[in-house]
Amino acid sequence: MNLASLLSKDRVSLSLKPGKKDSVIKDLVYAIKKGTDAELIVSTLLKREELGSTGIGKGIAIPHCRSLAVEKLEIAVGRTSKPINFNSIDKKPTSLIFLIIAPPQDPGNQYLITLGKIVQIAKEITKKNLIQKAKTPEEFITLINDIEKGLTKRK
Amino acid sequence: MTDVIEMHLKLLFDLDNLIADMEEPAYKKIGFKIEDEASLELIRKRNQLLKKLPEELGQIYEILKRRYRQAIAPVESEFCLGCFQKLPTELATRSKEIITCPNCGRILYWRKK
Repeated sequence: MNLASLLSKDRVSLSLKPGKKDSVIKDLVYAIKKGTDAELIVSTLLKREELGSTGIGKGIAIPHCRSLAVEKLEIAVGRTSKPINFNSIDKKPTSLIFLIIAPPQDPGNQYLITLGKIVQIAKEITKKNLIQKAKTPEEFITLINDIEKGLTKRK
Repeated sequence: MTDVIEMHLKLLFDLDNLIADMEEPAYKKIGFKIEDEASLELIRKRNQLLKKLPEELGQIYEILKRRYRQAIAPVESEFCLGCFQKLPTELATRSKEIITCPNCGRILYWRKK
């Protein structure tokens, strides 16, 4: 499955309000779900963060979990207007956050495949210094699509 | 089932999936760092959550988890997503009860629309 096809422009926010890690995660979850379902997802994501930060370093974090609250793989992306503390592994601030939530039943293990793909794309973004490149959600999705195509060609 | 019990049950289920994923070789290969002490703490939290459920529900949950790995199955278009059997229509109207699949026994969950 193509990652860009899982993204829609209303799930890409390039001027996310900076704040504490928890509140930024909450804002991204609310782009996907509202109400008690959103609370459930936030609780699970924060428990996941307690295991070790999903801030992979160089300005990118990838919070993720499975939740009963979603029926298909859901992705939201946020870029904070100022870098925030995400307790990343390199201890440096984070500004680009890919949030991924998968349903518990997941034929073909799409969740872990997609998660792995996002990590690869994130590494490309940092390597080529592209975090701030996109100016609009459309440009961001195109950028992801281009990186993904490049990675596929290399294989 | 009260809203609080339902929330505990759903969170317990999500945490169990989190714990199961941590053990997956495919997950480990991705390379996220997991702290050993934190994973033990997560198991402790999960056990505390289990104790907050009514005793019988907790026991059913644990039996189903041992049998199927996932004790809860969402319902989609009147099908149990655990065993993919069609469910009797009248089940959906009993939304405040703990309902199990008549075929596989998993606890059924209707997602909020």
